[in-house]
Amino acid sequence: MPEILCCFKWLIDESYIRASSSGELDLETVDYKLSNYDRNAIEESVRLQEEYGGTVSAITVGLPDSTKGVKDALSRGPEKAYFINDDSFENLEPSQTAAILADIISSQINYDLIICGEGSSDLYAQQVGPRLAEKLGIPCISYIQKVQIEGDRIVAEKKVEDGIEVISAPMPVLLTVLPDINTPRIPGLKDTLGASKKPVINISKDDLTVSYEAKIHTNAIIAASMERNCQKFGSETEDIANLARALAKEGVIK
Amino acid sequence: MDFRLTEEQELIRSNMREFAETYVDPIAAEIDESARYPAEVIEKLAEGGWMGMPFPVEYGGQGTDYLTYAIAIEELSRSCAATGFTMSVHTSLSLMPIFLFGNEEQKKKYLPPLAQGKHIGAFALTEPGAGTDVGAATTTAVLEGDEYVLNGTKTFCSNGPVADTYVTFAWTDKSAGRKGLSAFIVSKGTPGLKVGSHFMKMGIRASQTSEIIFKDCRIPKANLLGKEGDGMKIAMNCFDHGRIGIAGQSVGITQAALDESINYSKQRIQFGKPISKNQAIQWWIADMATDINAARFLTYHAAWLKDQGQPFTKEASMAKVFCAEMAMKHTVKAVQIHGGYGYCKGFKVERLMRDAKITEIYEGTSEAQRMVIAGTVLR
Repeated sequence: MPEILCCFKWLIDESYIRASSSGELDLETVDYKLSNYDRNAIEESVRLQEEYGGTVSAITVGLPDSTKGVKDALSRGPEKAYFINDDSFENLEPSQTAAILADIISSQINYDLIICGEGSSDLYAQQVGPRLAEKLGIPCISYIQKVQIEGDRIVAEKKVEDGIEVISAPMPVLLTVLPDINTPRIPGLKDTLGASKKPVINISKDDLTVSYEAKIHTNAIIAASMERNCQKFGSETEDIANLARALAKEGVIK
Repeated sequence: MDFRLTEEQELIRSNMREFAETYVDPIAAEIDESARYPAEVIEKLAEGGWMGMPFPVEYGGQGTDYLTYAIAIEELSRSCAATGFTMSVHTSLSLMPIFLFGNEEQKKKYLPPLAQGKHIGAFALTEPGAGTDVGAATTTAVLEGDEYVLNGTKTFCSNGPVADTYVTFAWTDKSAGRKGLSAFIVSKGTPGLKVGSHFMKMGIRASQTSEIIFKDCRIPKANLLGKEGDGMKIAMNCFDHGRIGIAGQSVGITQAALDESINYSKQRIQFGKPISKNQAIQWWIADMATDINAARFLTYHAAWLKDQGQPFTKEASMAKVFCAEMAMKHTVKAVQIHGGYGYCKGFKVERLMRDAKITEIYEGTSEAQRMVIAGTVLR
């Protein structure tokens, strides 16, 4: 019976982000949510447990005040959570997140299967899953839309451009899942109330074997803006010639 | 003083929001138009544990506080006020009196199926000649051996056509004044209990409302709720609880009106700019947002008082009258912001304005709330 570990990220709900006219992001009044694709990762973990038995644990790296995120994840089915947290774990880049997860998982957690979302719904770097598998020295099958367990192997359907690739790998293995793989259930009242009673294993920075410095630095994040240049043209011959000239001037036509 | 909700309450709010967006929003206009009872949604609410929120687990409930329940009603009503009201009547007016005034045997028998949403509860107090004036009711209950025999007609019974369990009221001793009214539990299918036809209402059309007629309806003596003569006390207590639910419902309706107004005014272009750039629209929207904030705090405060075990009658009435009148005022404004479109089917604000009106009427009219409030502050 598989021991399943699902990874999740607690991040800013993008619907609360406001941008100023200069493109600066206002994060003063934002709320947080579970990364969209991680809901699929948790749901698939729970679905596999319902089908094959075993255990499901959830794991995250984040700021100490992300406790609501841990409860949210637990309300979706995992029976316990590993909460690696420190005040310095803000805006971690993928290599750091993967390294911290690998450090803790390899030293403290038994697993047969690790499931991640295909990417996070904020930065969408799609790196943590593959990097984590690499650090743990286990196979990684990414962009999965269907998975089953056959004996001690995982059989997964991976979406590729023109079709579906069916891949089998021996456990332990890491999967990243697409949103198409399932429809995450909405936690009911009893799930949310029950989540507070589930065990949370708090892991601090001191439990890491080394500290992990960022390899890339984000200098700025600004909102994209589309400059619109609204000009009106009539339908007379001369107007159409003007339109063509205007388009040529903007470099749209040559 | 701490204005923050707990993490649990915030999660419950967002889960109810997601539930409502997933299952209720897609059908809300249709069930309003056809006045259809959304049985499939109620079933899903039951599965999620939402139909017995503030009752102990031993009676099939979830053991939340009343504030969390008010938040859930608000979020559900933001999508569909009729569905929110179905849950509110069931919880506040049917389960609550059985939980608070029932004996252990009654609680064990009736609460679990109700709290799990397998049964639906209704509340039958109003009569054709007895609305705000509860004392003008004429339904009687005569004890014959081990049975009470009920005779009379109740009207505007919310959840009436779909209920399994009714909490109703009848005179056991008309000469005793207020002390002569008693409360009873009546099960669906009891001979002599007839459910009248469904009223076609202006708003909350998917909420099922009917007459309930008792004609020599014999119920076991054991179905008396509390003691003989407790009826008026039980009815008033029901309303104290129910009014917090209606206040939450009203906040949900107004929040929906604000959501719609913001979206529409930002994309509606007149005179070459979005109408949200006009000061008149901005001020209406500012007033809406301000009143919603005030209304929400009144509602949460009344629920919080209830959770602290403190008296909350006055505060529940204040929340109810303020929230209801706010909902009416601002849904009218929301329609105005939408102009001609807002007056047409297919725009949510049209439904919101019709739904809002009932909040000023049921579970005590705005005028009855002022009687309660004045009676307390002038004492």
